[in-house]
Order: sequence, then C-alpha cells, then structure tokens
Amino acid sequence: MIWVSWRQHRSQAIACLGVLAGLAIYAIAVGSSMRTAFGKDALTGCLARSQGVGCPGAVTAFMNEFGSEVNIAFWSVALIVPGLIGVLVGAPLIARELEYGTWRLAWSQTVTRARWLTVKLALVTGGLVVLGAAMTAVITWYRAPMDRLTGHLLHNIYDFEGLVLTAYILCAFGFAVLAGLLLRRSIPAMVAAFIPWLAIRLVVEFLLRPHFLAPVTGPQNCPGNECGDGIGFVPQATGHIGDWILGQPANSTGYLYQPADRFWPFQFIEAGIFVALTAAALGTAIWLLHRRAA
Amino acid sequence: MTQHDADGSVPALRTSRLGRRYGRVWGLRDCTLEVPAGAVAALVGPNGAGKTTLLEMIIGLLEPTEGQVSVFGETSRAETARTLARVGYVAQDHPLYRDFTVADMFHLGRAMNPSWDQKLAAERMDALGIPLKRKVRKLSGGQRAQVSLTMALAKRAPLVVLDEPVSSLDPVARLEFMRDVMASAADAGLTFLISSHVVSELERFCDWLIILASGHVQLAGPAGDLLAAHRLLTVPRATPDAELPGTVIHRTGSDSPSGQHSTVLVRADPVQLTVQGRPGWQAGPVSYEQLVMAYLQLRTPLRTQDDPAPAAERPGPSTKAVTR
Repeated sequence: MIWVSWRQHRSQAIACLGVLAGLAIYAIAVGSSMRTAFGKDALTGCLARSQGVGCPGAVTAFMNEFGSEVNIAFWSVALIVPGLIGVLVGAPLIARELEYGTWRLAWSQTVTRARWLTVKLALVTGGLVVLGAAMTAVITWYRAPMDRLTGHLLHNIYDFEGLVLTAYILCAFGFAVLAGLLLRRSIPAMVAAFIPWLAIRLVVEFLLRPHFLAPVTGPQNCPGNECGDGIGFVPQATGHIGDWILGQPANSTGYLYQPADRFWPFQFIEAGIFVALTAAALGTAIWLLHRRAA
Repeated sequence: MTQHDADGSVPALRTSRLGRRYGRVWGLRDCTLEVPAGAVAALVGPNGAGKTTLLEMIIGLLEPTEGQVSVFGETSRAETARTLARVGYVAQDHPLYRDFTVADMFHLGRAMNPSWDQKLAAERMDALGIPLKRKVRKLSGGQRAQVSLTMALAKRAPLVVLDEPVSSLDPVARLEFMRDVMASAADAGLTFLISSHVVSELERFCDWLIILASGHVQLAGPAGDLLAAHRLLTVPRATPDAELPGTVIHRTGSDSPSGQHSTVLVRADPVQLTVQGRPGWQAGPVSYEQLVMAYLQLRTPLRTQDDPAPAAERPGPSTKAVTR
C-alpha cells in the first residue's frame, strides 16, 4: 500500500517540491538583499539600544524598501496558497477513483477500502506536514530581519510561521478528501472544500484569534486613539515590539493587547483548531467509506 | 459455515435469499442461486436487473440487506480482506490507472494481494505480446481487458467474476478474450461468473446459465439441461394458456402471414410433451437466444405449483455433470 500510495501521488509530490523550490528561490533572493540592507542600515545596533525607536528613519527606509514586497503582495497570495495546496491534493484522492471507475479495481484487491484510505491518508498527510514545515522554515528564515522590527504576532507574519501554515494545509486537505467522497467529482470537491476552509480561516484569524487568551489591559496613561500607533513598530501603549494592540473598549480605562510572547501559545491553539477540524473530516471520510459497504 | 451440495461437493458460489435495498427500493431480492466449482456461468439480465448489485455482494464490496453469499462454503462478509481475497474481479470497462505502466499495475497487484502470482502475470503478458513498460493509456481496448483479466487471475482467487468483460471489445478481441477465460478455467480449475449482454459469446463459452430480471432469478442451471427442458410450440391462436402443457414462459402472435398461430415457449418435460393428435400444433427445440430473450421479458418472478421457487432452482444430481 505504501508503494501504491507513492505511485499514485508521485506527480503531486513533485509538483509540491516545485512550489517549494520556487518559494525558496524567491526567499533567498529577497531574503539576502533584506539581510544586506538590515546590516547596512545599522538596524541591529539600533534595535538592541532602543527597539528601533531611536532610528525611525532607518526603520522607515527599510520598510519602504521591503514592506510591500514582503507583506502586501505576499500575504494576499499566501492567504490562499495553503488552501489551494490542500484541496488540489485532497479532492482527487477519492473522487478520482469514483470518476474513473478505478474504485472497483482499488477496493476489490485484498485490502479493505477503510484500510486503503487510512494508509493513503496517513502517507499523504505525512507528506503535507513535511511540505508545510519546509515552507514555514523557508519563510521564517527569509522574514527574520523584518520580524526583528515587527515581532511575530501581527497578522501577516503569524500566519506563515510556527505551526499554523501546516495546519491550514492539512485542514483544506481534510475538507477536500471528504468533499471528494461526498460529491464524487474532483473539481466541485475542490470548490466545495475551499470556500468553507477560507471562511473558517478568516473567522479564526479576525474573530477568534484576538481572544485565544484573555487580553492584557495596558497602562492607562493613554487617552485618544494614537496608542495603537507608535514609533517604528513599538506601540505607544506598551512600549514593546510586537505587542498586538486590540483597541480600547468604550467602557474600559485601558488599551487591550496581546503580549508579543504569546506567539507560541497562540500558534498551538490555532493549529489545534485546524488539526481538530482535519481529524474530524478525515475520520468522517474513513467512516463513511467503510459504511458504504453496509 | 460449510454448505454441501446434494452430491457432497461444495459449490463455488451459493447465494441464499439474497437481497439488497437502497433506501426503500430493492435493487435485488430473494436471489438464490448456485454455481458449481469449475463452471463458467453466464449471468444475463437487462439493465437495472440487479446484476451489478449481485456482483458487488459476491465480491465483498457490498453487504447484503438480507440473505447471504457463500464462496466455496464460506460465508462472505463485505469489507473483510478474507472475503476480498477469495474472489477475483474484472469490472466493467476494465478500470486501470491510465498513467501507470503495465508493470506498475502488477506492482499494485503484488502490493495489495498476499497470494499474487507475478510469474503468471508476466507470462501472460509475454504470451499476449503486451510490453510491461507500456503505459495503460497506450494500450488497446483488448489489451486493457487482458491486463484486467490478468490482474484478477494473478490474485489467485478460486472464483473470478467478470462484469461485461467483452461488451467494449471488437468481435476478434471478444473471441480471444473468451478463449483465454476458457483456457484459464480448464488449466487452473477456476470458476467464472460472467455477466454479459453479448448472448452469442455466452452461448459458445458458458456451460451454466443464470437469468436475472426485475431483481429476481428467473432461471438458473446447466445451459444444456435448461435448453432441453424447454420447447417452442406453435399452436392455433385461439388455444388458451390453460390447455398448453407445462409452464408458459412467453407467448407471441404468429409471424406467419395467415396470423392464425401463436408461438409459445413452454417449460415442460420433453418426454411428456406430445403434439400428436393435436391438429395445427408443432413442437421444436428452443435456441439459446430464444430462451434468454423469453425469460428476460418476464416482468414478475415465475412461480408454478410443481416448482414453488424457481428462483431456487436446484438441478438434480443427474444434471450435475457440467457439459464442456
């Protein structure tokens, strides 16, 4: 079964390696010049002395040069890329067998279809974890200079580092496998899996993530709205790089924020949500496939 | 559970009161039949008769709603490796992975079947002149059918089920394919169950006949015995069914210009059946195709007094000898 799974997903694995190679080339090209600029602008010393507050000109120049490239364009594409990888790999896994009638071949060998699916899912999931980890490593390396200015908790950084990128891919994959079984056709299954995946992804990011842990109430000496802003990436409300300012509720006396050192707890919580959704979808698919015989 | 036949041998396949319901609709019901070991059995039925449902229950892809299947005396359970191992299956349209080579398909067979016979598979491809390195998508329809059959044979299952194996093939490929099946049946002592619309091929190659219509087995037994047990009568059109001997299976108006006669297919003991002394009556043997067509047109399960469950037709020991 291991060989069978490998043979059937070989071209997908090669395509994923291609995506990874493209990402790595881009990351090395931009990442190297970013590192050079970071050293040239003496941002390292400035950061060590004053978290960048003492050298606003250098911070602004650096962000002007790399900010749009790294953040806006990258984020808009990268928001959907994990979902696309997941559905492209997941949707055909069962649907293709149903579309081409090869399920009659695959499931009439001396392997029950529940085992056939379980082994395939285990192997393909393992491959996607490797892919997600490799993408995360590449992105984390390449963004490292910028992360020193911004911290890791901001939206367009947090989403590609740590654990969540892999979890996003797995979740889209799980949804697509299940959709492929239910809809019996690859392309509709891709669409049917991608839309709820994107909806959940955005709901988690913008509605749930700010409240994963109870926000900390910042110092009260901060009237008006300017506390969310600051010099460089140091919010005035906290005076610390990378703190995530959520805003000041109307009846509150202080700003609410998530401290920058909550990156890993947040990563575990968010990855846990997506991995649980993945497990639910894949478990349902195995159960449904087994039950089709009854 | 081991079930023995009347003469003590275990049938290759036995279904008893087998039924499968999809929601509120029965895809197949009350299906009782038997195929002796070594037979090449034809399963004939119109589209929607429940053939695929029956085959999927025999293979172990589908669990019966009621009744049971046993293969060589052992009751089948869907979704168990033990049952799957006992039946080889060539599905309709010979599904194979198009981007695999023939060698890849056999590698899959080896990986997924503990008793896989790689030597048999390689030798068959050699004999048929199909290169192992060729991609499946580059094979002809006949070659694809042969690769599918080879995969079923190399699985080393004692019962092999073929679903419409020749309907997509040209006449020459049909002939070659069926000859191959016959050779395998003879050489390896395999039992075949072949579902098909192509009645002419079945007549040539299958020694056992099962007719399925409207979700019920209408007729089952050794082909020669079944033909011998039926007569085609030509009688005056006015003759009521009640006066006809045996069981009336099918009755049509006359094809003759005068239009004064009916052609009736009856099941009757040929010894008792006589037309002497009845003016205007003629009796003759029935052809395989006439027999099949008559039974396929039955709308309801056939029931008569002397044969309370024709669905459960069991040939007596005398008819056990399978004609080859």
